[in-house]
Amino acid sequence: MSNDTRFKRYLKLDLLPTPWCPGCGNGIALKTICQAFGELELPKQGTVVVSGIGCSGRSAGFFDLDSVHTAHGRAIPVAEGIKYANDTLNVVVVSGDGDLLGIGGNHLLHAIRRNTNITVICYANETYGMTGGQVSPITPHNTKTLTTPHGNPDYPADVQSLFKHHNCFYARTTAYHLSHMKKCFLEALKFKGFSFVEARTMCIVNYGRRLGYKNSNEMLLHYKEFYRINDYAEELAQDEIGILKTTTVS
Amino acid sequence: MPKKLLQGNEAIAQAAEAAGLQFFAGYPITPASEIIHEMVNKKHIKTMQMEDEIASINAVIGASLAGLKAMTATSGPGFSLMQESIGLAHMMEVPLVIVNVQRVGPSTGMPTLPAQGDVIQCIHGSHGDYFPIVFYPNSVFELFRYTIAAFNAAEESMSPVILLSDGYISHLYETIVPHYDCTITPRSRPALGMGNRHFTGLSHKGSVLKTSDVNNYRQLIASFREKQQMTAHRHNYFEYLECSRETDTLLISYGALSRAAYYFKNDFALYRPIRMFPAVEEIRKIAPRYKRIRMMEMNTGQYVYEIERMLHREVEFIPILGGRIDPKEIKQTLYEQ
Repeated sequence: MSNDTRFKRYLKLDLLPTPWCPGCGNGIALKTICQAFGELELPKQGTVVVSGIGCSGRSAGFFDLDSVHTAHGRAIPVAEGIKYANDTLNVVVVSGDGDLLGIGGNHLLHAIRRNTNITVICYANETYGMTGGQVSPITPHNTKTLTTPHGNPDYPADVQSLFKHHNCFYARTTAYHLSHMKKCFLEALKFKGFSFVEARTMCIVNYGRRLGYKNSNEMLLHYKEFYRINDYAEELAQDEIGILKTTTVS
Repeated sequence: MPKKLLQGNEAIAQAAEAAGLQFFAGYPITPASEIIHEMVNKKHIKTMQMEDEIASINAVIGASLAGLKAMTATSGPGFSLMQESIGLAHMMEVPLVIVNVQRVGPSTGMPTLPAQGDVIQCIHGSHGDYFPIVFYPNSVFELFRYTIAAFNAAEESMSPVILLSDGYISHLYETIVPHYDCTITPRSRPALGMGNRHFTGLSHKGSVLKTSDVNNYRQLIASFREKQQMTAHRHNYFEYLECSRETDTLLISYGALSRAAYYFKNDFALYRPIRMFPAVEEIRKIAPRYKRIRMMEMNTGQYVYEIERMLHREVEFIPILGGRIDPKEIKQTLYEQ
């Protein structure tokens, strides 16, 4: 894997480094997406990346592909418009949990219903990192954030349940489980229909720091200890990562 | 070409097809729904009913970037929802057409009745400064003609163009020849998937982000304005009817209401802007001939500010509210004051 440099083709290397904080997990996901592109040898002419707003939204600009950086929460409808306009394109959405599940949640619901043949990769850092660390739709119960100083009174959204009955692809993975992450991206990209990967990435500066993690490595090790891989399960438990068993439709 | 009895909204759909429309996304709303009803039956137009107006405008942005001529149609409430992404389309320089068939607001208001309450929303609805081109016809044939003009203006300016209508003219049936002789401007920008461009709502120069470069931002905004003015220059649409008798009064109105103004053409000179924004310059030459300038709108005063701004003089304003266009009532108001 380490000798495979095909992923570099998909990056605007001269724009690096990324604007992300030291210890951020987004870069891991970005590189892994490019590795998956490289492994599938996706044509650069014919692949489009769309992103929303937030830390993750900045990903689109780093791809050496045509890319669109849309308004907050609107990456999915823009991607659907692109796909319906030209279905020969590979359309990949890269955005965050606040963007895709919060402000853009309605679009996600309907893209699943329409089963539009696009791939959505969600950098799920459980917080609104760019604005300082507010509670997000998947922040765990009782977690302290800027807007929940006494702990999150709500429970995180059960994202996988949206997918179960629509023959769409859903996978959860983390920035620690690198080869599992790449496998999830590869399968999502190959899937004919709507595919969604919830990639847990760590935000140390505006999230983990307040939860008592000393550095981002501790957050990575938490992923290692907390999550078990359970691929092709009917349902993923809270402490499981894996690909949900779905019926492939083509 | 044979004559046809067409509804205003049907004329918009037919004109869009004639102008080369390939993608339509919309959400049902009175009084604009007939447009999407027409679109779904057209073979060469990919039509999507989205989950809301926000998704509609964003799908249209995506399709336009992907190389298709694209449009959406809505009414006031939906137009309000679209505003953020209209700003995005201006920032990313995406050509598209938005039809807004106005109804009485605010909020749900009186959905089946016509109004002109979205005029200011057209130019100031989204945050920041941007420079849309806005047309507002007043008959079924004009809806046909200016829908085509809107598509051409969108391609020429590489920006969203707004076609205003209202519940009255969009639901009006008139016999027209659905044909207008003009050149159709083709798509000019290569479609998505051909290179490594980055389209973004952040301040930028080409594909490069310039998020805190003040001078670049100033140049960017200036270039938007210049583009709008260059394009508007080619679409100088207005109607001016001199009075057959001596008169010292110019009566200004537009859209559905201007049809009622024709009743008074023997008593007043009439002026009607068709290109609403940027406002047509000719009014500066016409106005000095008249002592009194009176303006009617189906709102509490929106375009009157634009006219006053241009003329630097007072304009008497007559609001016609609630969607009722009754010539008798208007006459009473006009002749009493």
